[in-house]
Amino acid sequence: MTDTPPPQRSDAPLKPAEPVRKPAARAVRAGLPLIWLVPIAALVVTLGVGWNMIASRGTLISVAFKDATGITPGETALKFREITVGKVESVRFTEDLQQVEVNMRVDKDLAPYIDKDAQFWIVRPQVSAQGISRLDTVLTGSFVEGYWDDKVDGPQTEFQGLDKPPLTSFGEQGTWIVLSAERSRGMTEGAPVLFRGLPVGRMQNLRLSENDEGVLTDVFIAAPYDQLLTTNTVFWDTSGFSISLGAQGLSLNVNSLASVLQGGAEFATLTSGGAPVEDGHVFSLQPDRAAAEANLFADEGRVLRLTMLIGQSVQGLETGANVQFMGLTVGRVTGLAARVVKDADGRDHVEQEVTLAITPERLGLSGEATPEEALDFIAGQVRAGLRARIASAGFFGTSLQVELAELPDAEPAELDRDGQPHPIIPSVPGEISDFSETAQGFLARVGNLPIEEALKSATDMMNSVTAIASSEDTRAIPAALRGTLEDAQAAAGEIRQVTTELRESGAMGELRRMVDEAAAAAEAVKLAAADVPAMVDRIDAAATKIEAVDYASIGTEAEGILRDVRALLGTEDAEQLPKNLSETLKSASGLLNDLRDGNAAGSLNNALASASTAAQDVSDAAKRLPQLSARLEALAARADAVIAAYGDRSNFNNETINLMREMRRAANAFGSLARTIERNPQAFILGR
Amino acid sequence: MTPAEEAHPGPVMTAHRAGLVGCRSCGRVWPEAETSCGRCGGALVPPDRRCLNAVWAWLAAGFIFYIPANLFPMLKTSTFGGLRGSSESTILGGVVELMHYGNYGIAAIIFVASVMVPVGKFVAIAWLALVAGRPATVRAAHKRLHLYEVVEFIGRWSMIDVFVVAILSALVQLGFVASIHPGPAAVSFALSVAFTMLSAQSFDPRLIWRGLPLRSRKDPE
Repeated sequence: MTDTPPPQRSDAPLKPAEPVRKPAARAVRAGLPLIWLVPIAALVVTLGVGWNMIASRGTLISVAFKDATGITPGETALKFREITVGKVESVRFTEDLQQVEVNMRVDKDLAPYIDKDAQFWIVRPQVSAQGISRLDTVLTGSFVEGYWDDKVDGPQTEFQGLDKPPLTSFGEQGTWIVLSAERSRGMTEGAPVLFRGLPVGRMQNLRLSENDEGVLTDVFIAAPYDQLLTTNTVFWDTSGFSISLGAQGLSLNVNSLASVLQGGAEFATLTSGGAPVEDGHVFSLQPDRAAAEANLFADEGRVLRLTMLIGQSVQGLETGANVQFMGLTVGRVTGLAARVVKDADGRDHVEQEVTLAITPERLGLSGEATPEEALDFIAGQVRAGLRARIASAGFFGTSLQVELAELPDAEPAELDRDGQPHPIIPSVPGEISDFSETAQGFLARVGNLPIEEALKSATDMMNSVTAIASSEDTRAIPAALRGTLEDAQAAAGEIRQVTTELRESGAMGELRRMVDEAAAAAEAVKLAAADVPAMVDRIDAAATKIEAVDYASIGTEAEGILRDVRALLGTEDAEQLPKNLSETLKSASGLLNDLRDGNAAGSLNNALASASTAAQDVSDAAKRLPQLSARLEALAARADAVIAAYGDRSNFNNETINLMREMRRAANAFGSLARTIERNPQAFILGR
Repeated sequence: MTPAEEAHPGPVMTAHRAGLVGCRSCGRVWPEAETSCGRCGGALVPPDRRCLNAVWAWLAAGFIFYIPANLFPMLKTSTFGGLRGSSESTILGGVVELMHYGNYGIAAIIFVASVMVPVGKFVAIAWLALVAGRPATVRAAHKRLHLYEVVEFIGRWSMIDVFVVAILSALVQLGFVASIHPGPAAVSFALSVAFTMLSAQSFDPRLIWRGLPLRSRKDPE
């Protein structure tokens, strides 16, 4: 480039008007420093922004997880108290491929707080016995949650992530305690810890204790519930449901469904005076509340321990059994052991050594009473007759307890304060043999019950009843009884008829008339002495006629009937016949006697022919007696048959006897009626 | 060869050689003594290589801003209030992503508009500024002029990326569900484009003609 104008410019048509030029650098020289401020400013701004961005990019931390479920590099957020404070930048494996390293960029202002206490876990939807949580992560995807305290304590960039969210963030106020149990029954991760049924904490970090002797779990009791904890607090397992058959009888404990499914523990502070609990205090998890209460006695510092020695079997006495004093539980049996002691003769024998843990407060002593004071109290009581003995408890007396009984007439004894391992309280034998045998005896008694026989008898009885009920005889009973009654009625009616006939026939009057007539005849005989031979002939004839009447046979027949009747009445079976029947028969026999008397009167065979008519009447009447007898016999036989049919069946026999009694009563009525009428006929008309 | 060259096969007469100075606003030439344009009132500045300082300065500023424009995210997309995650994509990252999803056409557009054009502008302006005032043939001078015009023309279209971001940001504001915000790169890119345009405007195209040979016969073919 050249600044000099061409030399032939002067004649050129396009020659500029003015050759003189100002220096062109004027404006540029002025603008040079100014214009270069722009890129400098741009550089400054860019560098500033860039540096600012890099500086505010945050700290890269790396957390190792077992897996990276739901983590997307560049998207998954790191949250602290539900505020996004960082983002996952990359995910890679650890060198041994055992874990996943999640690199996260954390906000710069929070990075200092992420120190060694920081915890990280992946939040995913969770379904547990307590319900479903973090459903929002279904929509938004999982995220990494972190928690750290507010103390800046050496920031750290490498962390080990938790497999599952911690149940309590350690920012919460509260107390960490440790529960220990022999077995993990009722202990699961996240199981609730209840106080009066209210969840106040959760179990976590379930682990084996050192030496594998038990199971430990951490429990965080959040404030303000941690104020409820004292060193006297007892914990017991509330998982599932329990049915216990103990000294208090049958008890069923069912807690919430969550507890059934997940387990859980409950605690209570049953006695006051415990010291506040500090973090890490280890409580023992008891299997149930009763055991927890028992443990309370064993745990208490001021508990008074006594030893009692028993020479008997203590089968049924268990650790934890009650120690009763005047019906109150004052302590527990905490130890059972055997020890060899020398008796008075110097021989070794084994005695049971029962350790009792007694709470002095329960004895009525003040809470401040020292063990020595309690011991003094007990020593005084022992002098007054306090003895320890085994007593039964529970349903069948199969479990035992220790009773502190006041036996004023017991042999004098003293509390052995120097006894080892604990002061020895004198004991008296309990009725332990009974106790140990009670259950056996009970079972033996149950076993000895003649259940087989009883069943067999019952079966037989049922069979008999069925057979009786279905037998023809049984069905015939009502008819037979009715027949018997009817027969008895008929018999009574006939007897009455006979009586009536006899009365109607006026046998007595007839006889009297016969006597009168005979007297008249005799008078006539006396008067008509002339006609004696003829008369004699006629009387002879008459006498012959009368003799021909064969009174003897009639009498014999009547006697036979009477005998028969007597025999009938005399038989055992006849005793069950109505008494009035026999009375009726007696009446009949009386009648017959009358007849016989009549017969005697008839011996005046010299009487008139009319006598024969009367005798004929009597004979006619008497002739009916065999029929009556036969009917009575038939009746007796039938009754006999009926009775015989059931004679060997006591029940029916009884029934029959009852029936017969009824019949007898009825017949009695008949008889008395008959007698009344007989004695006092006008009573019939006058109604007495 | 332009018609003007064909019409004037002789040495190219420039305003400078004619002792005139052209107005950069309206194109009217005035005697070199004039300091302001009598027609449009613009200041009359004779072409000077030192004015290239401004070109370089603007270009540098534009280039400086172009670096964060590529490093920083252009778009911040957040879905579900950021719970689902928010994505930030740089220009090149977006291009790669689009290619990954098979949208080659859009990827090409973005790549051309956001990468090739600005870079081409930087190169073009830098080259123009470098060679301005240097000896050149008429043909080369015309090429430079064409290039300059292309840069000038394209300059305004370089803002297409910024427009896209602005429109998306305005349109996709669905609250909780999804929202798009311009990233820091958008500002950087806009600034970069603006500075590049300023740079191109600062370039005095009259300098293209300053290095022409005095005689046309010496012009190479």
